[in-house]
Amino acid sequence: MKKSKKQYAMKSDIKWGIIICLLPALLIYTYVVVVPIFKAFYLSLYNWSGGAKMSFVGLKNYSILLKDTAFWDSFANNIWITILCVIGQIGIAFIFSALLSARFMKLKSIHRVVAYFPSTISAVVVGFVWMFIFNYDYGLINSLLRAVGLDKLASAWLDNPATIILIVSIPLIWQYIGYYMVIIMAAMTSIDTSIYEVAEIDGASGIQRALKITLPLIKSSLLVATMLCIAGNMKIFDHIYVMTNGGPGTSSMVMALDVYKTTFIKNRFGYASAMSIAILILSLLLVGGVRLLVMRPWKKEEN
Amino acid sequence: MKKPKKVVTWKSIPRFFANLIMILFSVSCVFPIIWLFGSSLKTESEFMQSSMALPAAFNLKNYISIFTETKMLLYMLNSFRNTVISVAIIVVVSFLAAYVLSRYRFRGRNAIYNYFMLGMLIPIHALLVPMYVQFKQAGLANHWYTLLFPYIAFGLPISIMLIESYVASIPKELEEAAAIDGCGFFKTIFKVVFPLTGPILATVAIIQFFAVWNEFSFALILVSKEILRTVPVGLTMFKGAYTVDYPRMMAGILFTMFPVMLLYFAFSKRIIESMVAGAVKG
Repeated sequence: MKKSKKQYAMKSDIKWGIIICLLPALLIYTYVVVVPIFKAFYLSLYNWSGGAKMSFVGLKNYSILLKDTAFWDSFANNIWITILCVIGQIGIAFIFSALLSARFMKLKSIHRVVAYFPSTISAVVVGFVWMFIFNYDYGLINSLLRAVGLDKLASAWLDNPATIILIVSIPLIWQYIGYYMVIIMAAMTSIDTSIYEVAEIDGASGIQRALKITLPLIKSSLLVATMLCIAGNMKIFDHIYVMTNGGPGTSSMVMALDVYKTTFIKNRFGYASAMSIAILILSLLLVGGVRLLVMRPWKKEEN
Repeated sequence: MKKPKKVVTWKSIPRFFANLIMILFSVSCVFPIIWLFGSSLKTESEFMQSSMALPAAFNLKNYISIFTETKMLLYMLNSFRNTVISVAIIVVVSFLAAYVLSRYRFRGRNAIYNYFMLGMLIPIHALLVPMYVQFKQAGLANHWYTLLFPYIAFGLPISIMLIESYVASIPKELEEAAAIDGCGFFKTIFKVVFPLTGPILATVAIIQFFAVWNEFSFALILVSKEILRTVPVGLTMFKGAYTVDYPRMMAGILFTMFPVMLLYFAFSKRIIESMVAGAVKG
């Protein structure tokens, strides 16, 4: 009798404990992350420039958005940058990791620490540093080119609309190579070294070992890295804001910057909210889609 | 020279180039800092003559100007305050939620867990407009505590995930023993479990430190008062507010980077481990 009473008391104690523990997290998360999603949808049904006058327009903002080539151009830029970054970041990171796993490489731990360093710097700083590097008059690249007499090649790197997407991708790739290198190297160290020994005895070259043994064995980590890379590049904003602000013209505009400008420069809050919902859906489709593709074959292997 | 000369084989050449490539890449990772430092010691005209040459003198004029003529120090204090408070609250709040989600199987447990995990899929830029409107209307914009809300809220999902899985790996026996000894619910959590989760809480704190310190978008839209500005936003204002004096701007950038750089190179191993743990599991 006594025992059951005590148990009962403990249970209600725990019940309240659980509620008190979860409440702060749930409240702030709901208010800051979840409520705005509904708010965005609500606002997207209105024509509103931020003032007192709000007029209900139904789904009109969405039908305008579907035909808004500027928005889809910025979406395309996001996709191009993502493709360049997946190839650049993960591709180069894989090559570097494979190199660093070789016995003849020197200074391995220093490379790892130094290569990771750029990913701890704020995107704003990286943007500025590369803006200086690309600067026409004083930039590092042009100074170097002039120093070796290749004055003709010196150009206004950030002003050419034809190549701007490639140019703004370089800092992004550079910044995160080390990040993916560390992820890939962690995966590589979990591979049983005896496999390589056998392969070496069989006469497999370093490149063969990297492509035929390492690559398939770390496939799941590479896919996770790809997923991270896609999710990361759907939300690029800071670098572009600093380096080109979407320019020249709108040639380096990305979705996040487009929303920012539509809201705070054009004051089209309703339309910008429709864009926000579109970004949400596009990112979820892309990231979720890739995630599904990734998880399925992976689960089968585990079983 | 004393060692016997190694035989040069056909393998030595690619090996040499492999080392060279890695060294060049590593140099590229720190060279911008060195270049910034060199340039920050120059005068404007010196920089314009040659951006590559070494500075003529060890001239700290630009740094003095950062202190006396700009509000960089204030921006740093703002960033520092935001970072310390956000990280502390994230650690405590996510620890409490994650502990309960890990230890107790109650109705709605999975729903709540997945609800939090959803946050990692949401691109923050889809929330800039509605959050700006919501914060304005609620009178939450433009206060010293404004940015704590988004920083804490967006820090929760990954932190809860990391701590939840860590708590699951700690044996329950200690808590049970504490309960038998008459420890209450909260006393058990703080006296027994909290210290045991030290390593993962450190990981969470490191991840969030860098995330909050470097955050730009929310800081740009949610606070507009100059006295509340954070470092990343302050740096972008540099370009507009003052004529672009490159060496001085470089001094400003380097000055704001310094504390984080120091932290990184002092604890690089721990920091890399933490960030990768966060990335891979996320």
